[in-house]
Amino acid sequence: MTDFIQNCIDGVMIGSGYALLAIGFTVVFGVLRRLNLAYGPSIMLGAFVGALLYIQFQAQLFTVAIATVIVATLTGMYVERLCFWAIRRGAALASMVSSFAIWMQLEEMAVIILPERTYPFPALTDLAPIHIGPYFLRSEHLTMFVVAVLLVIVVHTVLYRTRFGLAVRAVSENPDAARYMGINIDAVMFWAFAMVSAIGGIAGFLILATDQQVTPYFGLWATFKGLIAMMLGGMGSLPGAILGGLILGIVETQSLWYLGNDYRDLSAYFLLFLVLIIRPGGIFGHALSERERAALRRV
Amino acid sequence: MMDEYVVSVISNMGMISFLALSAYLLLLTGEISFGQQAYFAISAYLSAMATAMWGWPLWAGLLLGAAAAAFAAGLIGVLTLRLRGLYFSIATLAFAEMVRLLFVNFHYQVMIDGEPVGPDGAEGFRDIRWIFEHNVSAFEYMAIILAVLTVVVTLFFIAERSRLGSIFRMLGEDPLLTELQGLNVIRYKVLASCLSGFIAGIGGAFYAHFATYLEPQIFNVMLGVHGLVYGLIGGLGTALGPLIGVALDIGFLEAVRAIQGYRMIVFGGLVAVLLIFMPRGILDEERVHWLRMTWRRWRNAAR
Amino acid sequence: MLTIDNVVTSYGMIKALKGVNLTAESGKVTCLLGPNGAGKTTLMFTIAGILKTQEGSITFDGTELSRFSPVKIVELGISLVPENRLVFPMMTVRENLETGAYLRVGKDKSAIADDVEAMFARFPRLEERSTQMAGTLSGGEQQMLAIGRALMARPRILLMDEPSLGLAPLIVEEIFRIIEDLNQTGVTIFLVEQNARMALRVADQFYLLEQGKITFSGTPGELEEEEVIHRAYLGSRRE
Repeated sequence: MTDFIQNCIDGVMIGSGYALLAIGFTVVFGVLRRLNLAYGPSIMLGAFVGALLYIQFQAQLFTVAIATVIVATLTGMYVERLCFWAIRRGAALASMVSSFAIWMQLEEMAVIILPERTYPFPALTDLAPIHIGPYFLRSEHLTMFVVAVLLVIVVHTVLYRTRFGLAVRAVSENPDAARYMGINIDAVMFWAFAMVSAIGGIAGFLILATDQQVTPYFGLWATFKGLIAMMLGGMGSLPGAILGGLILGIVETQSLWYLGNDYRDLSAYFLLFLVLIIRPGGIFGHALSERERAALRRV
Repeated sequence: MMDEYVVSVISNMGMISFLALSAYLLLLTGEISFGQQAYFAISAYLSAMATAMWGWPLWAGLLLGAAAAAFAAGLIGVLTLRLRGLYFSIATLAFAEMVRLLFVNFHYQVMIDGEPVGPDGAEGFRDIRWIFEHNVSAFEYMAIILAVLTVVVTLFFIAERSRLGSIFRMLGEDPLLTELQGLNVIRYKVLASCLSGFIAGIGGAFYAHFATYLEPQIFNVMLGVHGLVYGLIGGLGTALGPLIGVALDIGFLEAVRAIQGYRMIVFGGLVAVLLIFMPRGILDEERVHWLRMTWRRWRNAAR
Repeated sequence: MLTIDNVVTSYGMIKALKGVNLTAESGKVTCLLGPNGAGKTTLMFTIAGILKTQEGSITFDGTELSRFSPVKIVELGISLVPENRLVFPMMTVRENLETGAYLRVGKDKSAIADDVEAMFARFPRLEERSTQMAGTLSGGEQQMLAIGRALMARPRILLMDEPSLGLAPLIVEEIFRIIEDLNQTGVTIFLVEQNARMALRVADQFYLLEQGKITFSGTPGELEEEEVIHRAYLGSRRE
């Protein structure tokens, strides 16, 4: 039982990182109604630049963080302009394919920057694990969790208390109507993308600094985690994304503990598949509105 | 005789084309599948097991593999009937990854001539040597692949003109309308799934015997998304579309060796730009229609 | 106030508007009637800046609109109540009204709050449902919300695209009463409609649009109501 709870604690901590990634996908899908396959790779490019600074110039943790986030954001802007803004509104599929092409491009760029398989990434903290009764909490996990919580609060505030957030929500619900209100759709999409890329950059940094290493597989990995978490919790809702992330974290840690490494990822996919077949709306299955149903018909 | 390298490139294009065509078929019915590589894998492994471990001839192994792939695809088709759009896509992705991870844990070997032969999880499946043991040259194998591919593409063309082709495209445009016409949407969707699995399976079986070595890592998402994307780049107007996509990636870029280290950067950029001007691919329905009209006009004028 | 001069708008190779001329005078209700496919919504979108004209010009109080973006056009004081209402379904009624004032947010906080109260006063049914999600409102209530939302921008002219669409006859009457009241309080309205009977009751000036061209302009009463209704739904009688 102790193990189970310990795993839950670890799972929630790790899951907070996944939740951040899922938020990225959710916002982009909400605003643009399209899937950005270059999301993980954009973050990875940022992380690689950060790692480069760490290795070549012995950069400090904070510098690496800033570099990661800035490069991830700039890359996100590049992806938005090329794959989403430049492609006419009706051609959603083309955007997805384009983002896939750029995913390939970014992966290669990352490998050119740092040609080997694995690179060290600075550690998030040096502090010893904290003990609470029979359970212990890694300090990196706690840091990641706290930052994630803060970020979620920030995102919520932005979306519900700022003019920009109002515009994002309006565009997510009905881009045409939003235009009639005088909202500049292109600008909203651009900045929403930038915001999401920055969040992704922070999430990526936290995750990599916890693992203390980065590999070229990170792009794909991050995309998967974000996507799975988003779908588990119920696509299109922010609370769903967060819960999905936490659940994914818990499922992973539990299966890692009880079933071993080989079955960790398998369990996650199995759960996802099950959820999709049985309750496509996600574990917290909120009824799909007509608009969402229409949006889902063709990505 | 052809340069060995060229033979291998063309063989590659041929095998991947099956994967691309399989994704294309589902695209016609309006479904974006990220998981065709699973059927490619299932057939690859099963056909290889048949020839390398049970001594079956290649054609039998291929049929077995493709049939198994078709069955799996049909099963998934049934399970995902309720799913639309992105949900369907992610479900196929999840399934494909499950298959891949299952192969990572799949160990089944028999002793042949004192050596263990068979899939060994992540260590892979070696010595799928049927074509070498039966003295099929690389060139002959390529010819076989291309011959079967031609047959499949021809069948596609025939189907396009037939009622089946129209039904599939109708499913893609408007499933509700299709249902209202009295057509059993479920039956056609599952049929499309099975066919797509079978086609991917053919490719997988060919691949196993071409590469002589399989490991689960090969059948990852990248493979599947590539297959999907070829059709989207080449255009969904005809079955030639996916082939154009394959030719563009594997053919053209292998040829331009000068940009070896930057291949994906260039290709990725080119595709992104291409999609700005041709969002529905090169040979999309509109362009194909235009080409057909032009051909017809030219033919009538020549009379 | 709003002058449309020989406007030609195309969708690809199809000319939807083939040289449209009309004027919407300040303080009046101007109606554009016509059958489906005549180009009414195309004209609305052209004025709102979503579609560009190939020829001709649209002038608003002397300012030429053709090159402006939709954002700028809203800034100039032209607000559109779109066809099918298009309220934001997952936002509350109050939030919907606030998005209407998007361009004023941050500059005018208390004025916006006052305007929201004013909308509630004008549309008591909306006040009752102020915290409900707009998607749960009935058709008529959504129409009121859409009108209120457009008014939040304090426009100088209100464009309305088929306000009666999809609404029950009793509700349609209510909506048109609201339109009349609005006009009484000084709002200039340019209205596009298929429901000729109701539209003629509120119009000061009306035009008939058939196949991309204006085929009649005048005041209600100048043309037999029967004739107008027939042409609005079916196009001109074939001689």
